[in-house]
Amino acid sequence: MTPQEWGLYEYIFNGVAALLTLCIFSFLYKDNPFYKFAERLVAGVATGYFTMLLFWTNFMDKVYDPLKAGQWWYIFPAVLGVMMWTRFSKKWAWVSRYSIAFYIGIGSGVSITVYLYTYLFKQLQATIGFPITMDIAGLNQFLVIIAVLSALVYFFFSTPHKGALGFVSKIGIYVIMICFGAGFGLTVMGRVALLVNRVIFLKGYLIQLFGG
Amino acid sequence: MRREIPLVIVFLFGLFMIVQFFIPHRSFAFLYQEFNNWTIIIGIFTMVIGVGSLITVHYSKIRFKKPGWGYSIVTIVSLCGMSLIGLIGGTENELFLNLYRYGLSPVTSTMFSLLAYFIASAAYRAFRARTVVATLLLISAVVVMLGRVPIGQIITAWLPEWLQLQNIADFLLQTPNVAAKRAIYIGVGLGVAAVSLKIILGIERTWLGGDGGK
Amino acid sequence: MKKSGFKFLVVLAVSIWLTPFASFAEVISADSAFQSFPPMPIIVTVSDMPNDPGGALIVEWSIPDADSLTLASMNVYQISRSSNPDSEFESITSLVAGSTRYEDSGLEDGKNYYYRIIAFDNDNRLAEGTGGPGVPSGQWFNTGRIPILIMVVLFATTAIGFIVSAKKGYKFYVRPIAGIRAVDDAIGRATEMGRPILYVPGLGTASEVATIAAFTILGRVARKVAEYNTRVIVPNYDPVVMAVCQEVVKGAYTAAGKPDMYDANDVYFVTQDQFPYTAAVNGVMLRQKPATNFYMGMFYAESLVLAETGFISGSIQIAGTDQLVQIPFFVSVCDFVLMGEELYAASAYLSQEPQQLGTLKAQDWGKVLVVVLIIVGMIFSTFGWESFAAWFDVG
Repeated sequence: MTPQEWGLYEYIFNGVAALLTLCIFSFLYKDNPFYKFAERLVAGVATGYFTMLLFWTNFMDKVYDPLKAGQWWYIFPAVLGVMMWTRFSKKWAWVSRYSIAFYIGIGSGVSITVYLYTYLFKQLQATIGFPITMDIAGLNQFLVIIAVLSALVYFFFSTPHKGALGFVSKIGIYVIMICFGAGFGLTVMGRVALLVNRVIFLKGYLIQLFGG
Repeated sequence: MRREIPLVIVFLFGLFMIVQFFIPHRSFAFLYQEFNNWTIIIGIFTMVIGVGSLITVHYSKIRFKKPGWGYSIVTIVSLCGMSLIGLIGGTENELFLNLYRYGLSPVTSTMFSLLAYFIASAAYRAFRARTVVATLLLISAVVVMLGRVPIGQIITAWLPEWLQLQNIADFLLQTPNVAAKRAIYIGVGLGVAAVSLKIILGIERTWLGGDGGK
Repeated sequence: MKKSGFKFLVVLAVSIWLTPFASFAEVISADSAFQSFPPMPIIVTVSDMPNDPGGALIVEWSIPDADSLTLASMNVYQISRSSNPDSEFESITSLVAGSTRYEDSGLEDGKNYYYRIIAFDNDNRLAEGTGGPGVPSGQWFNTGRIPILIMVVLFATTAIGFIVSAKKGYKFYVRPIAGIRAVDDAIGRATEMGRPILYVPGLGTASEVATIAAFTILGRVARKVAEYNTRVIVPNYDPVVMAVCQEVVKGAYTAAGKPDMYDANDVYFVTQDQFPYTAAVNGVMLRQKPATNFYMGMFYAESLVLAETGFISGSIQIAGTDQLVQIPFFVSVCDFVLMGEELYAASAYLSQEPQQLGTLKAQDWGKVLVVVLIIVGMIFSTFGWESFAAWFDVG
């Protein structure tokens, strides 16, 4: 629906959106009742929104419907979930540790293999698969390897960074800082674009309200 | 019992998830999928205690008239209102969606847009280059920023190609940036493996509470 | 008369010369130039898909009798399947020319499958072949992941070895890390100023290892906080994380002998939406004015908003994350940052337990191995010995 087609309903709702936008922007000046109001409002709205989404999509799809379809084993995660509710009782809160243990056990077990595969093997594969040749590409590859090795040395914990190791470690932190600077520089323009978007929204609403 | 059984659970399920990575058979693939579903289901039920915690904290503020208790009423009313609308009308009803669209979404977008201000503020403070590492961060950020916009190309158009900003920016992104990322990822991979191993073997038990992280 | 006679003789001679070809022309009509030749044979092999959960077969084929010209003229391969070579074949797909392999999935384990491949040049059947049976089955071991298994076993063995050494009393050296050394000072500062400590465990779930690392650091921090009679505020994004944080903080206060100091309202759930959560934590920073802010775990775009607000409220800030994109922002704003692996090393540093330091040693030996592999791999690749690098190409 274009602003030209707005009725009273759209004016009111967009007005609320514009007001909340200004309430959040007011935070840049200092903490104030408008910001507090907006902050507390969205905390409630967001929690209500995601709770209902969890109930209607995840709970119904993953628990209620499978149990109704005869997949009885879904009673186990439901019981584990209900065990978390014992946290409301000081006496029985320890029962929730069983559910937490399952949760953490699954996460830890998956992480070892997945991280070694993705973060170790894939990076090794990318680093060692290219020959050093007597051209720009080969020189670049050589520099990448030197930089990787020196950055790795920086993360050695069980040896003091002195002497030759200290020198290499220093090169490593310099490489890391260049990386972080590059990351910073890459993100700046994207962030400014976000601000421009909000200002355009506010401007559009005000023009529609007073000029439209 | 209260500590031993959870440790056994962590060990058994942790070991299973390691082993299943190497067993492609459909029975193990099925169990892997199911256990991941179970963690989502536990999260769904745990939302109840999250909401309970939110209500308890704000109710306590209202009851004892702590500073800012009036805003706690706003939180509880908005939470209950949104939940009731969603419960009765479902998540596809117009009012529920409009409350998201005009209530939640603008605040999220505006908070996100504050990053433009904060990034400038952070850059101003951080780039006062008091140390070698800060200087490197500054120079690298400025070169990459300028190298990606037309003005950077105009400034150095008169220089040899390899000295032009966009080429230096490309070099920084393709060489030290890639190298440092790889090294950090390798370290993270080893770090995650170490922490996961400690948890599965029961060496790291802080998550269990009760021993105070001694 | 002589000219017409000469013409007649030429036509007669040409006709006699063409007679053998005339009989060929009767057999071949303009519309069906090749149909009378039988199609060339296609050699079809059907095998079980390796390292899969089951239900998949690989169909490969070749046409050894075809020259390159004939192969170029084939423009489509029609693939059909049947569970019995004598019954009707069901067409399942068509592939473009040049294909020599097809992966069929969604099949029943233990059942025989036969495949027929027909190569067409428009409507003309140029080649045909049938192969099988192939029997899909799931494998019990993924041979393609042997390198990862070796790495896991090597790492686990090394870590356990160092843990055993530590239990026997071997002392491990660890170099100082500024961010971790600052934890004690930061907590002391909060106690002196009479202001609370804010601990943000990130936006990850409790199954993510970065969040688990945040729990372990929270445990150490909470213990110190309890000893110094200071207050720690822990706003949470995820309800399961909140449950664990409550256990951790409560346990820390109990272990310090001060269970009554624990306030459940200080470890609470905020909301499970990124920026509303950020707005609420900003509010805590501006109103409660914590002396020290800890940001440990997984952070995303909100990292800069949190860190900047903490700076504005005058807090000492110690951050730790493995999210590469966010580390530069923490580095720019916070006083101390634990980058990547340092976050995972922090719990060993803070506890100083020999077993914890043993795994730290294993991490370092893992990095030594990586350094060696990179140098060896670089040399091998440069000399054209591809097999070493290929070993790391794991599916």
